[in-house]
Amino acid sequence: MMERRYNVLADEWVMISAFTQQRPTNPTTSCPLCVGGDEFSRPYDLASFDNRFPSMKVDAPNVESENSLYKKARSNGKCEVVVYTVDHNSAMSLMPIHQIEKLIKMWADRYLELSLQPTMKYIFIFENRGSEVGATLSHPHGQLYAFPFLPKRIEAKVQSLAKYYDEHGRCAICDVVENEVSIRERLVYENESFIALVPFYARWPYEVHVYPKRHVSSLVELNNSERNLLSKVLKVVTMKYDLLFQQSFPYMMMLFQSPVNDIRYEHAFHFHIEFNPVKRDKNKIKWMASVETGTWAFINPKLPEEAAAELRSVEVII
Amino acid sequence: MSISQTIDLENFNDIDMKKIAGYRKEDGFELVVEIEKLHLGFKIKGYLKGYVDEVELFKFKRPDKLLVNNWQSWGPSKVTQKDFQLNFPRELIQKFGFSASIMPELYFDNLLSDYYVASECFFVGCLSSKVAHPYFQIDGDEVSVRLKYFGMNFDEWNETETIVILLDKPEVTLPYYADLVAKENVVNISDKRWVGWSSWYQYFVDFDYEKMCADLENARARGYDVFQIDDAWEVDIGDWTPNNKFPSLEKVAAKIKEYGYIPGIWLAPFSVSETSTLFMKHPDWLVKDGNGNPRVAYENWNKKIYALDTTVPQAVDWLTSLFEHLKDCGFEYFKIDFLFAAAIQGKRFENVTPVQAYIQGLNAIRQAVADSFVLGCGAPLLPSVGYVDGMRIGPDTAPYWDANGPDIGHPNAYYALRNVLTRWHINGIWWWNDPDCLMLRKVDTQLSDAQRELYTLVSLLLDNMIIQSDNLSYEIDDRLWTVVSEYRKYGKRKVLLSGIMSGQYNITSCGVDGCDLLSITDLEKCVFTYSKDSGDIKLEKTIEMQDDGRRFNYYNEND
Repeated sequence: MMERRYNVLADEWVMISAFTQQRPTNPTTSCPLCVGGDEFSRPYDLASFDNRFPSMKVDAPNVESENSLYKKARSNGKCEVVVYTVDHNSAMSLMPIHQIEKLIKMWADRYLELSLQPTMKYIFIFENRGSEVGATLSHPHGQLYAFPFLPKRIEAKVQSLAKYYDEHGRCAICDVVENEVSIRERLVYENESFIALVPFYARWPYEVHVYPKRHVSSLVELNNSERNLLSKVLKVVTMKYDLLFQQSFPYMMMLFQSPVNDIRYEHAFHFHIEFNPVKRDKNKIKWMASVETGTWAFINPKLPEEAAAELRSVEVII
Repeated sequence: MSISQTIDLENFNDIDMKKIAGYRKEDGFELVVEIEKLHLGFKIKGYLKGYVDEVELFKFKRPDKLLVNNWQSWGPSKVTQKDFQLNFPRELIQKFGFSASIMPELYFDNLLSDYYVASECFFVGCLSSKVAHPYFQIDGDEVSVRLKYFGMNFDEWNETETIVILLDKPEVTLPYYADLVAKENVVNISDKRWVGWSSWYQYFVDFDYEKMCADLENARARGYDVFQIDDAWEVDIGDWTPNNKFPSLEKVAAKIKEYGYIPGIWLAPFSVSETSTLFMKHPDWLVKDGNGNPRVAYENWNKKIYALDTTVPQAVDWLTSLFEHLKDCGFEYFKIDFLFAAAIQGKRFENVTPVQAYIQGLNAIRQAVADSFVLGCGAPLLPSVGYVDGMRIGPDTAPYWDANGPDIGHPNAYYALRNVLTRWHINGIWWWNDPDCLMLRKVDTQLSDAQRELYTLVSLLLDNMIIQSDNLSYEIDDRLWTVVSEYRKYGKRKVLLSGIMSGQYNITSCGVDGCDLLSITDLEKCVFTYSKDSGDIKLEKTIEMQDDGRRFNYYNEND
């Protein structure tokens, strides 16, 4: 069973996939991403591969809607596992800058290659780090979902950024960058091409966003110098996270790029990365509970300006 | 026609849009116009009832500079100033016929733009051409927005093609418009990013099976996907069987396949020459003039060329059989040329507009070849959206660069490349743009090294189709071929072009390896700078398929 079902209550698609139910909660023997594990019989540097337990597949079966109330659609997307390094004990915070740069190139390749398929509408690159956010493997890796539809929150971002552009004639994130660089109190880190900040509108206690200073709609549009600077930002942010409570810090890292096979919003959609960490203190979790899940309204117990100051004060050397 | 409103898009205010909306009764028909807000601007949709030859939806004040666009592949797409005069050579009017315009009766003495216009701060364009032909008549200080219906009678209210007004700079509005059109016409872009070879710009009609075999042999290390034979193989225009220079088409296709290439073939399926057997046997399949005689669509090959009436059921059956046969012979890449012939004005079997007739013909070909690659050429652009995989978007290139030649669609590398730049925005959205062939030979050409390099770089950086046309036994610029191979290693690119209105073009082209910049400060003199963003990291990708069907992509650093 692999299909999409339409929710008439929320105007959204839900992916139904029996495959994902078979996903292991925690490997009992060896790491499948290490050489000699279930997935790799030979050495590698970086790799991406089709998820053994996908919620979407390019050749997903055709489906027919039951009626106009219960609409169905093919789950003809793609789910890939993106392995950052062969080193099991590494992490974004521990990897050399050079390795992160290679990872960025691999992301760019996956984005461009998958966008060549006209059925793809959105390429979502992400990493779940730590069991607190559902990661089942500790080997440094992320994932990639190529959606054949525009997910609800992406649609909200696209529409919101387009609305701002219509009202102001400018990209909203370009304006945020200009403002944050000026006032500085929410900045966590800055280099020539990027800022990392706890945003004014942070939903999570230590939420960090990474914004390129120049308007680009996808990471592909970053030149090599900018890609190098982005790898430094990713390293710094994740190092600061790990040092904040002196523990391997769980987070969801998500890359937001403009939709593919639809360039109507590239001038308004500014590529950005969100880190959504679930910790609100060393031993406390900020749960995505009823209010957040049911209403999409977040209650953030931490003042973003205070979180920014704390993260800013964590010294890192790269 | 005189009661439509004139608005000022350079000093835009919302009230102007309300002036356009509403109900109008004109001579012979009624019109209702609706306005809908859209990101960056407005959608204008009409409803018509009655007998309509032409509708003027509204007018707007002419800006100092306007990007105008011709209706078909070869026609100019360029920026015009207020003092622009067409000055089309009178002696060529008859030869060009409908090639220059779907409305030759208007075109040669007026300034027209088909489908869209753009200025420094606004854009006006039509999202489709399924029934009407959308065009702009630029007259003095005003631009009139019109839909040409060629005398159609609508008994019931009929929805018009949709016009959009977008308020932003061209590097934003042009690609945005292209995407709106793609959505309106339900485009599925082909994932076939083939690199190929064509016989035309080396041999023209002086091509035969022996030469084909020689170039196949010389092409062994080139790594093409497609090998396409061009005009030279057929008995006549309209008689699509091999002449005595070629064996059977099955044998031609099989020979090409022997070398591992996809066989490609050229034909002009809607054209019928006065000397062809088809013309003699089936004058009833041709578009007629007012007296019921076959109408000349254009002149070429030193012959009068007539147009297939694609609304005659037997003609459509013939068309379908022709392409099914070519596909059965082994061809999977079809360059179909002089397509505008199916859209000339005239009497047809069915009472449809020339645009509807054209689409019927194109659809018959699309259905016949199924998922084979279709490259349109000499084609009305907007009605072709959704039916072809690739499209020529400029005049024929040539082994010379003449910035002083007439800008009328004649072969000329300079104007061909100018169109590649000014129509960059539709690439990868309506279809894959064909910039026309690269000529990389160092002999038998008047192109300078710089001209050859610029043509190659623009085609690559804009992520267009890449087809080479050279006698491969000649000395080839292998440095440029290496550049081609490097650019085509990975998937599609993200491209932005600015500077259309100034003629100083800046291309930013981003791929896996980084973002390359090409700045053309003087296209006429071929003055440009190119900056390759190499970076320190070279990743080599290898793909392995697992027994369970899963794909693994390995990335290793190449020192």
